[in-house]
Amino acid sequence: MQKSKAEPIDPLREHVYDGIQEYDNRLPNWWLWTFYGAIIFAVAYWFYYHQAGMDLPNEVILAKAKAEVTARAASLSKGPLTDDQLWSLSLDPATVAAGRLTFVSTCASCHGDNLEGKIGPNLTDQRWIHGGNPVQIVQTVTTGVAAKGMPAWGPLLGAKRVNEVVAFVLSHHKKGEPMVIDPTATASGKP
Amino acid sequence: MTTTLTPAKVRIEFNDAVVRAFMLAAIAWGAVGMLAGVLIASQLAFHAMNFDTSWFTFGRLRPLHTNAAIFAFVGNMMFAGIYHSSQRLLKQRLPSDFLAWVHFWGWQLIIVAAAITLPMGLTRSKEYAELIWPINALVVVIWVIFAVNFFWTIARRNEPTLYVALWFYIATIITVAMLYIVNHLQIPTSWTHSYPLFGGAQDALVQWWYGHNAVAFFLTTPILGIMYYYMPKAAERPVYSYRLSIVHFWSLVFIYIWAGPHHLLNTALPSWLQSLGMVFSLMLWAPSWGGMLNGLLTLRGAWDKLRTDPVLKFFAAGVTFYGMATFEGPLMAIKSVNALSHYTDWTIGHVHAGTLGWNGFMAAGMFYWLAPRLWKTQLYSVRLADIHFWTGMVGILLYIASMWVSGISQGLMLNAVSPDGVLVYPNFVEVVTSAHAMMITRTIGGALYLAGWVLMIYNLTRTIWGTQAVNGVIEVAAPEHETPSLTFAAAFFNAPVLYSAALVVFSCIWMFGGSLGFLIALPGLILTVITALVHFETSGSTWGQWYERLLASWVPFAVLTFIAVALGGAIQIIPTLTLERTTAIDGIHQKLYSPLELYGRDLYIREGCYLCHSQMIRPFVSESMRYGEPSKLGESMYDYPFQWGSKRTGPDLARVGVKYDDLWHYRHMMNPRSTSPGSIMPNYPWLFTQNSDYSVLPNRIHVQQMLGVPFPKQTPEEIVAAARKQAEEISTSLHGKGVQAVPDREIIALIAYLKQLGQFEKIPAKK
Repeated sequence: MQKSKAEPIDPLREHVYDGIQEYDNRLPNWWLWTFYGAIIFAVAYWFYYHQAGMDLPNEVILAKAKAEVTARAASLSKGPLTDDQLWSLSLDPATVAAGRLTFVSTCASCHGDNLEGKIGPNLTDQRWIHGGNPVQIVQTVTTGVAAKGMPAWGPLLGAKRVNEVVAFVLSHHKKGEPMVIDPTATASGKP
Repeated sequence: MTTTLTPAKVRIEFNDAVVRAFMLAAIAWGAVGMLAGVLIASQLAFHAMNFDTSWFTFGRLRPLHTNAAIFAFVGNMMFAGIYHSSQRLLKQRLPSDFLAWVHFWGWQLIIVAAAITLPMGLTRSKEYAELIWPINALVVVIWVIFAVNFFWTIARRNEPTLYVALWFYIATIITVAMLYIVNHLQIPTSWTHSYPLFGGAQDALVQWWYGHNAVAFFLTTPILGIMYYYMPKAAERPVYSYRLSIVHFWSLVFIYIWAGPHHLLNTALPSWLQSLGMVFSLMLWAPSWGGMLNGLLTLRGAWDKLRTDPVLKFFAAGVTFYGMATFEGPLMAIKSVNALSHYTDWTIGHVHAGTLGWNGFMAAGMFYWLAPRLWKTQLYSVRLADIHFWTGMVGILLYIASMWVSGISQGLMLNAVSPDGVLVYPNFVEVVTSAHAMMITRTIGGALYLAGWVLMIYNLTRTIWGTQAVNGVIEVAAPEHETPSLTFAAAFFNAPVLYSAALVVFSCIWMFGGSLGFLIALPGLILTVITALVHFETSGSTWGQWYERLLASWVPFAVLTFIAVALGGAIQIIPTLTLERTTAIDGIHQKLYSPLELYGRDLYIREGCYLCHSQMIRPFVSESMRYGEPSKLGESMYDYPFQWGSKRTGPDLARVGVKYDDLWHYRHMMNPRSTSPGSIMPNYPWLFTQNSDYSVLPNRIHVQQMLGVPFPKQTPEEIVAAARKQAEEISTSLHGKGVQAVPDREIIALIAYLKQLGQFEKIPAKK
């Protein structure tokens, strides 16, 4: 292909439309190659994904990505905490303060700013619907109770923040206090 | 109105009255559309701006804003520009004044009808296709009238060949008709309500084939045509390149149509469609920039005029924004970029770079050029026009920049997963509140742009005040030498057309033919390209002659244009229509709606919930943590219309039904801040006082049965009774939680729908 020198006079087309004239300049090379490049990319992309079998189903891609995240998280976590460990966390001011932050932004809208209960039950009294042992509370927060409108917070908050928020709840209780399991307790908090 | 001067010459007076009318309407509706925009922007900054009033809420006014900006403002502007320039380029008056005025008044009637029905909550919930079916029918009639008057002018032209501006007008008229009709196929259930013919993924595909190309063929191609007329006129310079016009016109109209699925990237849409959406968007970059180049390079030798002429200032900036937006668009259509940008404010910023920068500035430039000529006078104040330009420019930049900041922040925050495997920002409201300053900045940007517009209104009013309207006149001699027009056979059986056809055929064989198709198609494609190149090198000049003759043959030209724009949609949509529902739906199918849930769903649509909430969870780790497992096609197979949404001002709702209980929804709809502190969602108090009208249900269910939704056979009485019974149950449940809720109130139906979201059944695998 010959290289065009800058032409001193642009070729004007003969015809004039309502006074409008048209040059007939060559298409800029960078423009042409942008266009060709995009077309070549399109063909290659299609070949890679739809011919060479790289088009993995969403579930596979997601499962892979999830496995990476879990593997990384596992290397950082120390496994689930015991009742005793959770009770001792509830005495740690820094953990409780962190738990309070999560509680206010995530839980207070249903359980009340002072844990007194609103849409969800009161968390300061000694009546528990799904068990009041620290490990049971962690379980309830993590997996939720779909039937009663308690969302599963585990996937959203993660183990660390769930533990913190449970420590915050526990800071309103004493280890060894009497506990009533009352599955019929209604959602609305009673004083 | 033609009078014979000499046997050879006739004097033609153009119909400029209708041009003036369209221009004034565009200016007025532009102000209305922008005002609505500033208002809804302020609602996103301060939720109190919704005023707890149904017809004043964001969900109802947002469609009003988009429809006003697109169809009322750009529509009227386009008609003014097309009628004004076409008469001159064709050296012929519009054949029918009557049709022109029916077009004008019909279009204004459509706009007024839209402005009344949308705030009432009468909507089809498909973006930029919200208007109800009687208005749709009127739009089609008026568009056909426009087409008749336009093509009639072409048929009676005194100019042998068609100038490039007219190519774009032809593409606009044909394609908009095709898109509009297909995306508005529907079955009415009453005078104000209907269900679309397509549901679920098919509806999504058709909607975004339309939605994307409404941008292409309503906001882009007509304005490119307008650019090709007014830019060289104002600059008094020849257009940069005729052959660039040819290449970028045909590549633009052919490629644009295919790019629609880029609005559905990373969704449950079949991946081959997503791939087509992405790669065609990338291939669209150069054709779009071809238009920008031809616009900007026409200014060669006239750049100095930019200092003094506000018209050229607006045009140059408008074309530059076009170039920017058409670079940003392909970028955002890359799947991995889209993972960040989709559902965020970035898209909103992108759209406004196009509408405010390209459409708004091209319109302003055209109005400043037209007004003195249509009223034979001088522009009242060049200085005011300059101030308009700079106010508008600052407004656009504030708007786009704030949307980049908030959009990219939203994308990053919502997708952020910490090293210990949890969401960094688990609370959606955190993301919402973090964008507050940007919401305010955007409102200020929009208000500045509107202020510039008001300056223009003042300036143009002073310009034309007290002057006399003047119609253009030309004297036409009978064309000296007729350019012979092509027969259909000669138009179609010609090298460029045949090579293009071969490329499309081989591409389809590759796409749908599996491995064998690939083996046939690859050599076919390579051979076609090589043959075409060699052929072009040896006898390219005959292709040029063929094209010039095609320009003298408007019917074959229009038919070729139609084929070019129809192909992409046909190849994408037809295979999806033939998908067998039960097998194509990856092992899952949606539970049928109960009558009450269906009623609630129609309320969800009425309130425009889809404008801020998606129902489509993408296959990302962050989204599966935040919302649950990725959405599958089967979960929305009975959704007429689909509600996948395009924006997440609030969280995704695809699985919200299993997350919260009825009491939570009750309180949340009454006052979202009582359950989600910091939320910017409006209150919906009217849902707690208005009653549901179950009597519409039997007919609605009947229509859905006609569409293929397997609702059980029930008598109307049974349907209404079933709705009543479920409402009673929800009311009783709420009562048990301490809330007195009358079963017939609308809120109960809406809760029924919301509680149902995310319910599906697994289909046992067939062997």
